[in-house]
Amino acid sequence: MTQLNAARAPLDSRAKMIEFHEVHKYYGDYHALRGISATIREGEFFSLLGPSGCGKTTLLRTIAGFEDISSGAVLIDGKDMSDVAPNKRPTNMVFQSYAIFPHLTVGENVGFGLRRDPRSKAEKAKAVEEALEMVGLKGYGARAAHALSGGQRQRVALARALILKPKVLLLDEPLSALDKKIREQMQVELIKLQREVGITFVLVTHDQEEALVMSDRIAVMFEGEIAQLADPETLYRRPNSRRVADFIGVMNFLPAQILGEANGHVQLDVGGLGRFEVTEEQASARASGAEPVVGFRPETLTILYEGQQAHDREAPATIDEVVYYGDMTYYDVKLDGVAAPVRISMRNVFGRPVLDVGTRTRVAWSPGALVLFR
Amino acid sequence: MAASPLKRWARSEAVNGYLMISPTLIYAILLLAAPLVTLVAYSFFTDGYLVVIPEFTTANYSQAWSDPIFRAILTRSVIVSALVTLVTVVLAFPIAYFISFHVPATKKSRWLFLITIPFWTSYLIRVFQWKVILNYNGVINSILTGLGITDHPLQMLNSIGAISITLAHAYAPFAILPIFVSLEKIDRSLLEAGLDLGENRLMTFWRVTLPLAMPGVIGAVMIVFIPTIGDYVTPELIGGGKLPMVANVIYQQLLKIDNKPLGSAMAISAMLVVAAVALLFLFLNRRFLRGSK
Amino acid sequence: MKFSSLKGYAFLYLVFLYAPIVLLPVFAFNSGTIIAFPLKGFTLDWFRDLFANQTLGLALKNSLIIAVSTSILSTTLGVFAARAGTRFKFPGKPGVMGLIMLPLVLPEIIIASSLLVVLLAVGMPLSLFTVILGHTLMATPYAIAVLNAAFSSLDRSLEEAAYDLGETKWSTFRLIILPLVTPGIISSALMSFTISLDEFIVAFSLAGKETTLPIYIFSQLRFPKQIPMIMALGTCLVVASIVLLATAEYFRRRGLAKTGAKDTGGFL
Repeated sequence: MTQLNAARAPLDSRAKMIEFHEVHKYYGDYHALRGISATIREGEFFSLLGPSGCGKTTLLRTIAGFEDISSGAVLIDGKDMSDVAPNKRPTNMVFQSYAIFPHLTVGENVGFGLRRDPRSKAEKAKAVEEALEMVGLKGYGARAAHALSGGQRQRVALARALILKPKVLLLDEPLSALDKKIREQMQVELIKLQREVGITFVLVTHDQEEALVMSDRIAVMFEGEIAQLADPETLYRRPNSRRVADFIGVMNFLPAQILGEANGHVQLDVGGLGRFEVTEEQASARASGAEPVVGFRPETLTILYEGQQAHDREAPATIDEVVYYGDMTYYDVKLDGVAAPVRISMRNVFGRPVLDVGTRTRVAWSPGALVLFR
Repeated sequence: MAASPLKRWARSEAVNGYLMISPTLIYAILLLAAPLVTLVAYSFFTDGYLVVIPEFTTANYSQAWSDPIFRAILTRSVIVSALVTLVTVVLAFPIAYFISFHVPATKKSRWLFLITIPFWTSYLIRVFQWKVILNYNGVINSILTGLGITDHPLQMLNSIGAISITLAHAYAPFAILPIFVSLEKIDRSLLEAGLDLGENRLMTFWRVTLPLAMPGVIGAVMIVFIPTIGDYVTPELIGGGKLPMVANVIYQQLLKIDNKPLGSAMAISAMLVVAAVALLFLFLNRRFLRGSK
Repeated sequence: MKFSSLKGYAFLYLVFLYAPIVLLPVFAFNSGTIIAFPLKGFTLDWFRDLFANQTLGLALKNSLIIAVSTSILSTTLGVFAARAGTRFKFPGKPGVMGLIMLPLVLPEIIIASSLLVVLLAVGMPLSLFTVILGHTLMATPYAIAVLNAAFSSLDRSLEEAAYDLGETKWSTFRLIILPLVTPGIISSALMSFTISLDEFIVAFSLAGKETTLPIYIFSQLRFPKQIPMIMALGTCLVVASIVLLATAEYFRRRGLAKTGAKDTGGFL
């Protein structure tokens, strides 16, 4: 096993690497960044996640220096960057299109940033070779860059950026142009690489799965604002708004009636589930409308087979739709008394049949897995 | 702190854009805009034989437009240009169609190359060669008499037809290229859809290909019409100077007779006619584009 | 059936296009002094006349000076305009570009007469220099059209990457942009050169007492005695332009091979 899960210093104890202070960016009348404040720590794998047009790439480019900010401040390693040009910043970038110089060889591409380096030619050549080895392209130096495959270009772009030993590596949707298999392979390699070089990675992506897999922390952005900044697990389990919940994975929603609050608990009545209470911690998220709703992930519900008992609570339901995925089956079930179906995901296990549409069943659930949006 | 306003201004895209365009723009202002403005100004000034008197007058225009010879020449220029344009585009369309639809993709650039080669050789000599071909004792007449088809050589030079053939040859690639480009853009599945829907080939061509190629055709019309109306060489050489077009009389007025205001008024008049025709075609093009949506 | 008749038409059209060109060497090597069939016999006299002709030599020299200057000037102006047009947004851009590209849709006689009027008004003597000014004005839009294609195919992130890797704006231009648009620059230079070399009416109006190649040819076409020599000259020009075009095509292909870009057809 590699050091993927190796214990590392907790984030809070590490030095601040990038600080955004009330960053605003206007393009004419268009307000692209609306008061971004956040801190990214040294050695952190940080992701900016959001739909297209949310400002995530703009924010990344303010770190690189390609975008001037309209007001506020961006600090890197404690220094204000407002008058520092991109070529003087301790950051390097991997571009979405990789931006491999087509008229140069692989080695010339990787060594491009060493032009002003005072080291000898031999030392530079050695550095290039090491960088290529690090990304698994040993011996590719003399090849023409334009003849490479997508995945190889990606590696060249990484080696070219890392050879300068930047304090921060910026990655603008680096995997979006790759097909699924190579993308998943590159995700793992990027994590390994980040652990190996130990520098701060800031990744922009619209792919929530990619962000969840790779990041220490994720900032979810909508319309120029950070909607939630948290580690992947918190983001998934405790989204702070219905919008974030919708953007990350699948979440079922049922209208809820708040009966009252007492001793750090909220009493609820939810159609199909009945009366129960949740903790204040579960009840901190914002709903998008005026009506409160409870939300739960498809895998927090379980369909009970004959003879199985719920650990916590159960609710009667009817199977409405079945979608078979091989390793998983997605069921849309109608809880008794609720018109809209909810989605449940079940891992397929040998010897357990896939249920038919129309089957009467019971669903096991637990109040602790719910989030109340109000 | 964000960057200081001055620095941000200096880094802004608009400022960099203006800086980058400024050499070319200044050149165009000094050598194109200023001369055109001067030409317009002169056309409203009074001629004092060797000098130009800056007194406003519309006399130059009334003199030019009331002169039957100038009117005849301008009309002839428009007719010849229209004829040349028609001949050039009608001859060019099948070639563009052939290259786009019947030549394999790998050989297309070779065909375009073949068509543009003659265009790269001396314009004057190309024009003169048509005199050689059409002359009283020229190539065509030699062949005709040599084969015994006729005893009397044909008189072909010094005619509007001769001028038209010569110019149609000179501007052939200008007509073929835009039509070819618009034909290339046509989605081939549209044509298959046309055939699939029971149209025959001719109807498919008429109802699908031709309308979609129209922007290219109109582009070709503009590209051929505008320079031919101002052509000086062909009327001199092929028309034998007996069928002057507007460029010849402008040149005459400005340089030989040295009546700059009248020459300017004629030049501006010719430009207005060209602009009117160009605008008409732009308008047609826009209607076509809207119609096809 | 339709295919073959279209092919036949294409063949006839090529005959129409090439007839005037093919006739050039036919009469250039014909010993008869009158340009007519039947041909008399083979001779190299006309080429001998051609190379001995000093006025022609001077005209050619003038034309080359003008064409080379025009080529450099209009390509330089074209690089500025194409870079500004493809990379930057600025208010009034359509108007600015419209003015710069206007010579494409102006009859040459208008360009010639307006320039002539202004040059005389400011008292600038007519010379080769004034012809260069006029030719540069005419050739720049063509240069821009060629260079626009080269510049717009540049991925903006390439220059950002170079800037990000520590280069300045100028060294980025030199190391990344310039090498990638070089095929476009060569095409543009060749095109401007050819346009200038062949241009008659602007040169005729602005050259004053000087002679260029087209002015010389035009003046000689009146004298039947000189025509065989002009045929020889035309033959040389055809050969020269084919060599030039082949060179241009070679550089274009090499540029494509170097960057691995797709072949999108001729450099026109």
